[in-house]
Amino acid sequence: MNLISVTINHKTAPIELREALYFSENEIRENLRQLKESLFKEACILSTCNRTEIYGIPADQSTTFRDIQNYLLDKKPIEGITSNNFLNYFSCGAVNHLFHVTAGIDSLVIGDQQILGQVKDSFNIAVEENSVGTYLQKAFQAALKVGKRVKSETDLFEGPTSVSAAAVQLAGKIFSDLTKKSVLVIGAGETGKLTIQNLIQKKVSNLTISNRTSSRAEKLAEKNKAKVLPFENLKNSLHEFDIIISATSSKSILISREEMNSVMRKRKFAPVCIMDIAIPRDFDSNIKDIENIFYNDIDSLQSMVNLSIEGKKVLLPSINKIIMEELIELFSWYNSLQISPILKAIREQFESVRSQEFETFKNKFNVDERENLELLTKRIMNKLLHNPTVYLRKSADQVDTQGELQLKINILKEMFNLNSKGNERE
Amino acid sequence: MKILIHNLNILLPFFYVSVFILYSLNFWKPKKSFSSAKRILLFFTILVHFLYLLARTIEFDHVPITNIFEIFTLLAFAITLSYYILELITEVRNTGMFILFIPMVFQIVSTLNIVDLLTVQEILRSPYLGIHVFTALTGYAGITFSAIYGGLYLMLYKQIKLHRFGLLYQRLPNLELLESLNYTSALIGFIMLTIAISIGLIWMPQAFTSASYFDPKLIVTIFIWILYAIGIITKIYAKWRGKRIIYLSLVGFVIAIFSMTILNLLFTGFHRFH
Repeated sequence: MNLISVTINHKTAPIELREALYFSENEIRENLRQLKESLFKEACILSTCNRTEIYGIPADQSTTFRDIQNYLLDKKPIEGITSNNFLNYFSCGAVNHLFHVTAGIDSLVIGDQQILGQVKDSFNIAVEENSVGTYLQKAFQAALKVGKRVKSETDLFEGPTSVSAAAVQLAGKIFSDLTKKSVLVIGAGETGKLTIQNLIQKKVSNLTISNRTSSRAEKLAEKNKAKVLPFENLKNSLHEFDIIISATSSKSILISREEMNSVMRKRKFAPVCIMDIAIPRDFDSNIKDIENIFYNDIDSLQSMVNLSIEGKKVLLPSINKIIMEELIELFSWYNSLQISPILKAIREQFESVRSQEFETFKNKFNVDERENLELLTKRIMNKLLHNPTVYLRKSADQVDTQGELQLKINILKEMFNLNSKGNERE
Repeated sequence: MKILIHNLNILLPFFYVSVFILYSLNFWKPKKSFSSAKRILLFFTILVHFLYLLARTIEFDHVPITNIFEIFTLLAFAITLSYYILELITEVRNTGMFILFIPMVFQIVSTLNIVDLLTVQEILRSPYLGIHVFTALTGYAGITFSAIYGGLYLMLYKQIKLHRFGLLYQRLPNLELLESLNYTSALIGFIMLTIAISIGLIWMPQAFTSASYFDPKLIVTIFIWILYAIGIITKIYAKWRGKRIIYLSLVGFVIAIFSMTILNLLFTGFHRFH
């Protein structure tokens, strides 16, 4: 398959370069149109905070990786970037890379749950921009199938991959239905924001934010349809919350063990889940001994993430098996496209010889015999063609990494003098 | 018919052990093939067990409740059927290994010791006794479930408190659900035991001339009933929750098992019919 892919990702470039090369949705749409006019017959752009990748079927054989890299740098001039920051893939390699991306095993953190949706969005944009043809459509559909199979057949997307996701997952191990629980996020910094995103993904609706600088809390609350708890009322209202996630930049402990004891008495010892992801910690860590307080700090949450990631690595062989199966299926389809014209051409040539010879000799037979003669010649022709047809189809079913199928096709073209007939499609 | 009964009696432990192994394998390695296979096998186990109980009832002309080993096989059936229904109506899929261990043990003990009783007391043909036994067994199944889910709650509680995020943490349902299963099972068990005790108390003087309100089994059962009543009342009115209620249900279960095994073997009260 004449698929080309150029990528810049966390393996090849630092975050500054990746950020600089990020394409917004509008930019992707505009560039797809331009790419179709210049370099590609078909194209798709995937751009996330961790990677920017272009996939395409070149308009002609002269298109090189360097052309695509130059195109990208022309659109996003970045100082300090070199060709070493790009990875280039071709044909089976490009498809294999795309499959690894959608499987979630090429991400910064193995088992990234968002990438499948991001690839799907990129593909849909490309479809809307009419920059997807038969080949990209088939390759991306197969890639999305890989992602879905990994999701349904393995546990890769089950465990948390970040501290904030671990906090939310742990809360889900304590409470049945997070949507019915009251959640307090203390601190409106980056960690707080990330945690809120994870909570919203779990459809938490009863969300309250408290921050020392109230304007930041109000801004964040407005964005996420949350309530604001004035920071000075924090200690008096803690008992109202089932889940408390604290991520402030306070230099000292905010809530002592005695204060939490009093909170628990007010709650009649109803379970409360406290995720203290601040450094230094906001809660006195001794509260973990109080009944029905489930206290976790950043270390315990990080250990949960590490455990989850280690567990995911064990799944790599089964994920690679899924990728291989889908690669075989995709290339069987592609190879069958390759051999169809040549099979058709051979059959037409045989049929042409047969009908010419039949026309030449038919007058030597009476009318009744002619019908049998035609049948006989057709049967001979079909029998002669049977083995080569089966052989070619079998070859097409195998992944062709060395170009062996193309070699066989070329030999057949020369043997039967088909160069002028059999290769119209390609 | 007797050959069929004897063959089914030997087959049943194999069914129970196989189901237990499949549920255990699925707990350690969750695979889709195991998930569907374990439920199909559980269904067939219940079916075979039902046929066995039916055949016994027809052949020996009495419901199999005349001795402890008949009660064991009936209890194994009641627990397994209840678990199957629970799996069908809830999202709880990974706790079968813990529940099904109990009926497996009951069935193995029953298979090894059960005898064919052809002559039994006329009293065993009373419909009151049927309702009494049915409600008592469902009650015991309820408190067994309650104890197992209570035990799982305590295990998961400890895992989360100690920040151990291993297999138990990954496989068990959440704490709130385990607590709810513990309470709901206890409540069902309590209601059924209330009915069983009430029928027993009303019907007993009419049926047994030798009946005594000081029968050890009756005393222990009423004690268990009071224990569960305290648990349910404190849960509703004093808002007790979590570990305290669970400890109560575990104590109730231990006494119930004690009542069913040791008391039945040691004492010759009116609860023994042969």
